Amino acid sequence: MFSRRAILAAPGLAVLPRFAVAQADVRPAITIAVQKISNTNTLEVLREQSNVGERVFSSSLWEGLIGRDWLGDLRTVPGLATAWRRVSDSAVEVSLRQGVRFHNGDEMTAEDVVFSFSRERMFGTTLASAQGRTIPIGEGMPAPRPGKELPPEVPAVARRAWPALERVEVVDRYTLRFHNATPDVTLEGRLSRNGSEIMSRRAFEEAATWLDWARRPVTTGPYKVAEFRPDQMLVLVAHDEYWGGRPPLRQIRFVEVPEVASRINGLRSGDFHFACDIPPDQIPGIERDRAFEVQGGTILNHRLTCFDKTHAALRDPRVRRAFTHAIDRQAIVDSLWAGRTVVPKGLQWPYYEGMFLADWEVPRFDLAEARRLLREAGYKGEPIPYRLLNNYYTNQNATAQVLVEMWRAAGLNVQIEMKENWSQILERSPTRAVRDWSNSAPFNDPVSSLVNQHGPNGQQQQVGEWTNEEMNRLSVELETGTDRARRRAAFRRMLEISEREDPAYTVLHQNATFTAKRREIRWKASPAFAMDFRQGNWGV
Amino acid sequence: MLRFLFFRLLRAAVTIVMVVSFAFVVLRLSGDPAQIIMGADAPPEAVDAFRAAWGLDQPLWRQYFHYFGAILSGDLGRSMRDGRDAILLVVERIPATLALTLPALAIKLGLGIPAGVYAALHRNSWADRLVMLLAVAGFTVPSFVLGLLLVLLFAVQLGWLPSGGQESWRHGILPMLTLGIGGAAVLARFTRSAMLEVLGQPYIRTASAKGVPWRAVVWGHALPNAAIPTVTIVGFMVGSLIAGAVVVESVFSWPGVGRLLVVAVANRDLAVVQCVLLLVAATMVTANLVVDLLYGLLDPRLRNQPRAAGAH
Repeated sequence: MFSRRAILAAPGLAVLPRFAVAQADVRPAITIAVQKISNTNTLEVLREQSNVGERVFSSSLWEGLIGRDWLGDLRTVPGLATAWRRVSDSAVEVSLRQGVRFHNGDEMTAEDVVFSFSRERMFGTTLASAQGRTIPIGEGMPAPRPGKELPPEVPAVARRAWPALERVEVVDRYTLRFHNATPDVTLEGRLSRNGSEIMSRRAFEEAATWLDWARRPVTTGPYKVAEFRPDQMLVLVAHDEYWGGRPPLRQIRFVEVPEVASRINGLRSGDFHFACDIPPDQIPGIERDRAFEVQGGTILNHRLTCFDKTHAALRDPRVRRAFTHAIDRQAIVDSLWAGRTVVPKGLQWPYYEGMFLADWEVPRFDLAEARRLLREAGYKGEPIPYRLLNNYYTNQNATAQVLVEMWRAAGLNVQIEMKENWSQILERSPTRAVRDWSNSAPFNDPVSSLVNQHGPNGQQQQVGEWTNEEMNRLSVELETGTDRARRRAAFRRMLEISEREDPAYTVLHQNATFTAKRREIRWKASPAFAMDFRQGNWGV
Repeated sequence: MLRFLFFRLLRAAVTIVMVVSFAFVVLRLSGDPAQIIMGADAPPEAVDAFRAAWGLDQPLWRQYFHYFGAILSGDLGRSMRDGRDAILLVVERIPATLALTLPALAIKLGLGIPAGVYAALHRNSWADRLVMLLAVAGFTVPSFVLGLLLVLLFAVQLGWLPSGGQESWRHGILPMLTLGIGGAAVLARFTRSAMLEVLGQPYIRTASAKGVPWRAVVWGHALPNAAIPTVTIVGFMVGSLIAGAVVVESVFSWPGVGRLLVVAVANRDLAVVQCVLLLVAATMVTANLVVDLLYGLLDPRLRNQPRAAGAH
């Protein structure tokens, strides 16, 4: 009846399933619906210049030497480096965390860090510069392998992040020194910013093309790329050798669901565990069902109204000042955001720590003052165009309509012109006057925001909307100065110029992002776009 | 016949050239792909570098001739977002779209034509009124509203079907229904009108008066004559198989050609947009050609028209 072979095999068969069960990964796999995974169809931090990329990149996939406290106040914390110290005004020494494994199993060493900041991966043929002067650097640029040429925007972005980085010196296997061409107190901040993350040198070299690598970067994060279908989905799986402890999730699947209603329906039907990018007006409807809750709040991004001071009606700064005083910002926060965001203290964030000016305020809401300024400027109701995108920002259209009415109450004749894309918004022509924008702070210093966005190399000046000689002089001082008191004074003066005296922009409110989820999932949202799924931030 | 085909093909080629040229000019004049793809926060020097790398800093006419020359040599260009060949990006999305639009076409035909015929044969009955009520409703409700209603009912309330995505055949049911119901409503209305017109013709009365059974009158005389306007509509539906599901693909997060087109237009990813347009134009032109040929099969009088015209 039973063959000898079958009898011999039987005990083994009885044992095998139990063994398999014991080894089965019982950690949950989750699905997250997002509006967009990556605008550039890559997972390369230097190419993806959008906020949406941060959700996927930060804390899950990419990691830098200096990290951020994603669940706290975003202050800098040890990341792939355990310690760092100043060697001079222009150099920082970094001690690497030992035993960190890349997704391909290799140990991270100083060589990988040097490669991450190399010309081959980061800077291409661009040259470092400081204060308008090109810095000669000995390192030559080897001709890239066919297919490994960097997209031209990557070196440009890298140079913006590290304008004067001269070289990265290997001291030993776990110690490096970053040498800058000029004194720079923000080097530590730059090490913590997006774009300064570390990657495996071997993985880059083994990839057939740059695009192949950029779609499956090998990094040190708690999750690694299993599958990426641009415009569709990204599947991350646990990197069990992660230095920060075994990740709590077996798999995270990000799916692109462009429609808000579809994201919410998918959450309610159980297709998704999380639905991101929820507009504030949808929150009460979702939370009406006790099974769901919406988390999130303010992020490191402020909404602004920008002015083109070359427009005939806006040349007189008093007219722009009138704009800033005619806005009841708190009314916008209360009515359109249900009080879930705040009016910040100008273009700055508390995480600037020593550089944060706690006593600074946005221009007060004062209609009488706005009317007085317009009278003095001799403004006679000339139409002022307001180029507007269709809800590129949350609540953008509604905010614009409210703003136009507030400005009208002060006597300003602002007329909305709907535009389809940023190119149309920024187009240099006599009808460019008022537009929307938002500014982030990639690291904890005003250089990352005020200088970067409104200084001499910032977008506003580069597109010819605004310039100010004193502002440009102070930008250099802020970038290269090392005395904190003097830098604080320079920063205050720059805020006075760009927000009060000769307004380049006016801050409306802090931006916020909201994520809906099932209430029983114990997970905390970060005050940023990043979603943290590391050990300690998951439970059911 | 050959002359007929030659002129049809010539007209098709001119149509495609016009579509491609129009799209080029409109897309280029309405936005700078570099600024759009790089985003509002990209450093100006990165935008400039992108522009130079893709030749966007060249005069528009030069870009146009360069692009057109490449097309004539069989190079449809590369995606500016992706760096990959545009044709590959488009071709890999076609199966997903056809997986929706072909079954949806079957629903349209299988539901719309019988419903229209039935309503016409039972004119002014409660069944006719019910069919037309549903047809008008199906015709007027936008597909994104219908899609969301179906999701609310079958995914959220009943939990029978997934709300979106493309993981299994079950994910395709709601988008297929959304596409199919709207099209079936259109077909039902056209078929009913065509049938009513034919049923009022003297030859139908004559056939009935001769004692031909009613069923034979309908099958032998009414349906073939009513088929011509219906075939025209079906031709349009076949022509829109490739890019006729733009809205539905967005609502259901279905990764087909429609979603690719939306994203490519939004980013001014010209090579991809042009590639889709070429494909759509070619499909539409082919469908129209087939419809023209079908006319001749359905109505022998139309076959002789060119010759008759030439004789005058």
